[in-house]
Amino acid sequence: MTDDWTIVVPVKQVPDADDVTIDPETGTLNRSDAPAVLNAPDYNAVEAALSLRERAGGEVVAVTMGPPFARAVLETAVALGADDAVLLTDRAFGGSDTWPTSLALAAAADELEADVVVCGEESTDSSTGQVPPGIAAHNGWAQLTYAEELEPRPDADELVAVRNVEGGHERVAAETPVVVAFEYGANEPRAAGLHRKIYAETEFEPEQWSAEDLGITDDVGLANSPTQVGGMDTADRAEREQTVVEDVDALADRIAEVTADD
Amino acid sequence: METPNYDNEFDAIVVGAGLAGSAAALTMASQDLDVLVLERGQSPGTKNVFGGVLYTPTVRELVDVDDAPLQRYVAEKRYGMLTETDETAVTMRPGEWLQEPHNDSYTVLRGSFDEWFAEQAVDAGATLLTETTVTDLVREGDREDGRVVGVETDRPDGTIRAPVVVVAEGANSLVSEGAGLRDHHDREDVAVAAKEVLQFDRDTIEERFHLDGDQGVAYNYFGEGAVGDAVGGGFIYTNKRTVSVGVAYSIEDAAAGRQNPQDTLDAFKQHPAVAPLVRGGRTVEYSAHAIPEGGIDAVPDLVSDGALLAGDAAGLVLNNGVHLEGTNMAVESGYRAGRAVAAAVDDGRVDDRALATYPEALAESFVVRNLQHYDFFQELAVDDREFLFSELPRALADAETEYFAVDREPKEAHAEAAKDRLLDATGGYVGAAKRAWKYRKLLS
Amino acid sequence: MTDEEASGEGEEPVHEGVWVFVEEHAGDVAGVSWELLAKGRELADETDEDLVALVIGEGVADVADEAVERGADRALLADDPVFEPYRAGPYGDQFRALVEERRPSIVLIGGTTTGRDFAGRVAVPAEAGLTADCTELDVDDDGLLLARRPTFGGDAMATIKCPDHRPQMATVRAGVFDAADRDPDRDGDVETVDVVVEEGDALSRVLEREVGDVADITDADVVVAGGGGVEGDFVAVEALAAALGGEVAASRKAVDEGWIEPARQVGQTGKTVRPDLYVAAGISGAVQHVEGMNDAETVVAVNTDPNAPIFEHADYGIVGDLHEVLPELTERLRGAPPEPTA
Repeated sequence: MTDDWTIVVPVKQVPDADDVTIDPETGTLNRSDAPAVLNAPDYNAVEAALSLRERAGGEVVAVTMGPPFARAVLETAVALGADDAVLLTDRAFGGSDTWPTSLALAAAADELEADVVVCGEESTDSSTGQVPPGIAAHNGWAQLTYAEELEPRPDADELVAVRNVEGGHERVAAETPVVVAFEYGANEPRAAGLHRKIYAETEFEPEQWSAEDLGITDDVGLANSPTQVGGMDTADRAEREQTVVEDVDALADRIAEVTADD
Repeated sequence: METPNYDNEFDAIVVGAGLAGSAAALTMASQDLDVLVLERGQSPGTKNVFGGVLYTPTVRELVDVDDAPLQRYVAEKRYGMLTETDETAVTMRPGEWLQEPHNDSYTVLRGSFDEWFAEQAVDAGATLLTETTVTDLVREGDREDGRVVGVETDRPDGTIRAPVVVVAEGANSLVSEGAGLRDHHDREDVAVAAKEVLQFDRDTIEERFHLDGDQGVAYNYFGEGAVGDAVGGGFIYTNKRTVSVGVAYSIEDAAAGRQNPQDTLDAFKQHPAVAPLVRGGRTVEYSAHAIPEGGIDAVPDLVSDGALLAGDAAGLVLNNGVHLEGTNMAVESGYRAGRAVAAAVDDGRVDDRALATYPEALAESFVVRNLQHYDFFQELAVDDREFLFSELPRALADAETEYFAVDREPKEAHAEAAKDRLLDATGGYVGAAKRAWKYRKLLS
Repeated sequence: MTDEEASGEGEEPVHEGVWVFVEEHAGDVAGVSWELLAKGRELADETDEDLVALVIGEGVADVADEAVERGADRALLADDPVFEPYRAGPYGDQFRALVEERRPSIVLIGGTTTGRDFAGRVAVPAEAGLTADCTELDVDDDGLLLARRPTFGGDAMATIKCPDHRPQMATVRAGVFDAADRDPDRDGDVETVDVVVEEGDALSRVLEREVGDVADITDADVVVAGGGGVEGDFVAVEALAAALGGEVAASRKAVDEGWIEPARQVGQTGKTVRPDLYVAAGISGAVQHVEGMNDAETVVAVNTDPNAPIFEHADYGIVGDLHEVLPELTERLRGAPPEPTA
């Protein structure tokens, strides 16, 4: 095994968080009007991957599972500096929950002989955070979630991460291959270079793999999704009283009321 | 990681994917040129502000207008003169406007239209990069008078070269000024505009403005009731489900502290003639922008050192009080610039002599001809502001009140009084005649 | 796995029992575990099944006992040095082995950095359905778990079911449910199970673990947060927090300015808190911050700007300078009777 690492970055195309609405009649999400963008935490993941490449050497490959137009997020990743990208696209993937989704990404990471997989900590649409541990579990690889700092040790086939946990931090060393879930906002994503962006948006062509290419046709899609969405509705956002009081005493009274209730 | 270098891979770089930029890019791409368009906004149109109405004669030459995201066509125009309390207006609904092509006048939302228009250029083969701001032009040998051979942007490794650069950066023309292609706009040559987009539902808009289907209105107001004692006016345009209401006036007045755009806009919205039209709308957007209004004298050299200027960056906006046109001027200039570049590239020569076909063609076109014809107007409006914006509106209001007064007096007296009031304001018949002479060019 | 796969010859469904993971680190139990145990008790009562507590750690027999006191019918105890400190591999493997052996119907795990880390290591090999960050849990007449959770940054709520796959797993964050009370007279048994994990199997090692020095604001009942309006001086915020027995927190602005440590940041790129009382002082109320505190029971806002968006997300508010208002509040509340219990 060479010292150079193959760093795989799964990225996701999501509806622009500010623009999604619920159709009041059908109760379903109206995603079509919202422009599709790269999941915000994935920018931090790509940046973390690029930083690992700078220190450990190797190449960064972005991967996404989605319909053909999801290639746009691969172009974004390549513009930022990823060396290559793979689009996993197949009707068979339709309706997948996190189980088959992480399987597909795990199979791709395995196929690419990844040493490190760096994921955004969660997506802004479903926000489960389950895919990174899922990828690790499917492949029987180590995992490092809530990572805010990474230290590559390619000579020792190890990656060290600082994990942000309740009440403090821990530093954990994991054997490669390892799956990282990188914290949202934990680094400063770089801007895409001008010529790199032109390249990514014009000449670059991602590889395309189907479920069959990965040998997982029978293991993905709705039929292989343990969870099903039973229904969706608009959230009853907390109805706030929005009472503005004139003086501090009135406010103190309110607070005392609240804290007195046990 | 190997990244190709795109220096001189493109035949032309276009700065800005607004109306002028996309028109230029589309024209060049249709002639098989490789064009790179650099837009600073997240998508084309996000940084663009106008009243406004899109005038489509040239647009129609370039694209299929039926596919474009248009809001309403202008079925009715109104010119209103406002004192603080009165309105005197002329409303026009020529039957012809109700038929295709609707006098080539449509309201649009820039975020949608510009994005679509830029897409047409991309479909024709242009490359569009968004979220990329051009910060400077690159000159050969870094010499102040060196040929323009590319642009610098705010991205890492952000310099790229090309034989021709079309600068369509809009009214805030920092790049062309910084590169010495034009002077900074004189105060007196710029207007400031503030605009709100108010949300209603279709039914409310149609009822309130008496519209059917895709019909829309374009209202323009001036007078002291519109923008106080500044030189300028207010406007209302109807979109499908929203109404654009705004004010635009000379930046000299703004700077002198006489007015602040937000307050001016609020006051305009509260005018008794305007308030009922905008009542109840939810503000979904507020924007402010500059409008070049220097007329023909403020238009710089359109070609210099291998760079072409188009649209607002070249000061190509017509404002003679009744005609407020920037969109068609931008598209026409972009189109002409594109054609000139394509012809020059075809000929294998892109020096200024070869590119001169651009200003030459523009000089023959309505763009320059109109600017020249109305070049008297701006100065005249400023000189005559007291009369135009205060005395005349007041005189008309008083005269109307007098003339149409209902009482038990004989009408003759009222008519007399109305006439006297008007002549008072104009300086008698002679004064009126002098004025008519001064403003004759507006009608010829 | 599905019940069909498990039952093979078409026997009766074999997944039974409501399991709750009791999270502890060096013997300290995470509060969310007792909250889930209370909810688990409800669900177990409804489906007439056993409530089983899973205790994995080192030297944690007392934790297992407490789990029984707090409502578990049984506690399964896996006790070994390999489990301290926490690591995804050992916990995941042990838990998964127990799940596959004993076949629970429902498994609840706290949505902490620990729970959300290892839950997938159980769910994936067990082919179980896993739903994250549930805010409501119910069972229908067929014993099917109905897990409700927010999506799209909270704009929509989804109800998730696992019709065929077992166990039905869910993670739930701290503060959603109320904790189970302790009853020393409660009966139940503690079963020590075989440890199936060895140190040699582990793929990671913990080099350092520093907790306790840094605040854990996610567990607090009262949070007093300061934002841009604090202008470098958190004294007033700290005093009020102390008077109310709560934790100090902050907006991103205050953390970026270096006025307070990042562990106290509430928001999209910080922590999510669900206290009974959240005081937002000098915080404008940008959507990224509100997302981290919008589930607080009661929100109080203090800001000099009457148009600040925070007032729309508050139950009570006052327009004023926090450096004046908070000390006054602190005065007033210190004099007031009962100290709130945590």
